[in-house]
Amino acid sequence: MGSVPRTLELFYDVLSPYSWLAFEVLCRYKNIWNVSLQLQPTLIGGIMRDSGNQPPAMLPRKAVYMRSDVRLLSQHLQVPIHFPKDFFSVILKKGSLTAMRFLTAVKMEHPEMLEKVSRELWMRVWSRAAEKAGMSIEQAQELLKRVSTPQVKNQLKETTEAACKYGAFGLPITVAHLHDETHMLFGSDRMELLAYLLGEKWMGPVPPAVNPRL
Amino acid sequence: MGSVPRTLELFYDVLSPYSWLAFEVLCRYKNIWNVSLQLQPTLIGGIMRDSGNQPPAMLPRKAVYMRSDVRLLSQHLQVPIHFPKDFFSVILKKGSLTAMRFLTAVKMEHPEMLEKVSRELWMRVWSRDEDITEPPSILAAAEKAGMSIEQAQELLKRVSTPQVKNQLKETTEAACKYGAFGLPITVAHLHDETHMLFGSDRMELLAYLLGDMGSILGLGRCHVPWSNEARMPQLLSLRSRAWESQLLSPRTEITEARVP
Repeated sequence: MGSVPRTLELFYDVLSPYSWLAFEVLCRYKNIWNVSLQLQPTLIGGIMRDSGNQPPAMLPRKAVYMRSDVRLLSQHLQVPIHFPKDFFSVILKKGSLTAMRFLTAVKMEHPEMLEKVSRELWMRVWSRAAEKAGMSIEQAQELLKRVSTPQVKNQLKETTEAACKYGAFGLPITVAHLHDETHMLFGSDRMELLAYLLGEKWMGPVPPAVNPRL
Repeated sequence: MGSVPRTLELFYDVLSPYSWLAFEVLCRYKNIWNVSLQLQPTLIGGIMRDSGNQPPAMLPRKAVYMRSDVRLLSQHLQVPIHFPKDFFSVILKKGSLTAMRFLTAVKMEHPEMLEKVSRELWMRVWSRDEDITEPPSILAAAEKAGMSIEQAQELLKRVSTPQVKNQLKETTEAACKYGAFGLPITVAHLHDETHMLFGSDRMELLAYLLGDMGSILGLGRCHVPWSNEARMPQLLSLRSRAWESQLLSPRTEITEARVP
């Protein structure tokens, strides 16, 4: 095409299943649309505190709804999400600070690995492959000892603040930088609208793959 | 096709812009998919009370977000939504009790008019920033929808009867029983299971659950009520993958779809 790719920033937290859905769809489309996908590890707890919002799961009917919504979207979008039975009691309490600092460090040190490592963390938390409920972070802790520096902590803080400045009250958010305007889109369910704004084609959540051109 | 149409129940309140978006998309698809669309006038205030939820606009950042989200969706879905000047007064103070009781009465007496009258009420409150709480406002919407003034006045009298009040209460309770914490909700009754889908943004998922992608082929154009131009709804980008492969732009090479 020849024109400059539009930047899409995806602010996400591995604690958020909808973040995983948005992540996978955008990873599929990044080689189809004329865009540059920038992954932004963010702390959803920080977004909640700053915006005055609370996780949807705190409202009983939303918690019930989320389970079936995520299950159906998992099938439709072909992302292997399985709601851990004790998600609310275990994972929500433990949080994602370690994991998101880890991903921040990965982004700073080995950005080419960020996509794969993010996916692996989601697989650990959200897939039946995980050995126990909660995040298995032994390996993460090893690396974290080496990167648990003020720089990493601050970077995660800054990224989270950037999301807040864009108006986030939750995650995921996709910030689309078009030639003349910027749009913040919340959730994993604004991808068809995103295609419309980009002037690109929406081919559903599982588009035919493009041969990677390296 | 020959098989029994699946029932879709749309629980909605004219106070809710996302309800309008869901309503228009489903009205377009009701003649395309093998479904039977049942419109259910519901009271969003009742849903909030029963579920312990609060309107999203109560959170400042959500209120800001809603404005741009609704504006963009309005363009993309081609529904002429415009935020009322005094949004909080319209939504939180004035409410929709009379309007939704009126629609309940319309459904009980003249169900064939329900779609049009619902639309005219949305056009008042969510397109032209006009009142929907006073009797003359409701009558004006009914007349614009094609009701005679006599019919409309009759129905308005019914609004305060126990039957109509109870019917709206029951419909709202039914939505709560389906698990609603807001509106719109679409309840899809499939042959072997029932699904409640919240919001105006689960229509592609709904198509997937209905398995109705194939019936989109060979389609004519949908008429959009407020525009002279007939246009294809955006959601007709849903297609079977085989058909899709013939339509992709030249710069895309097609291999098998794979999940990473």
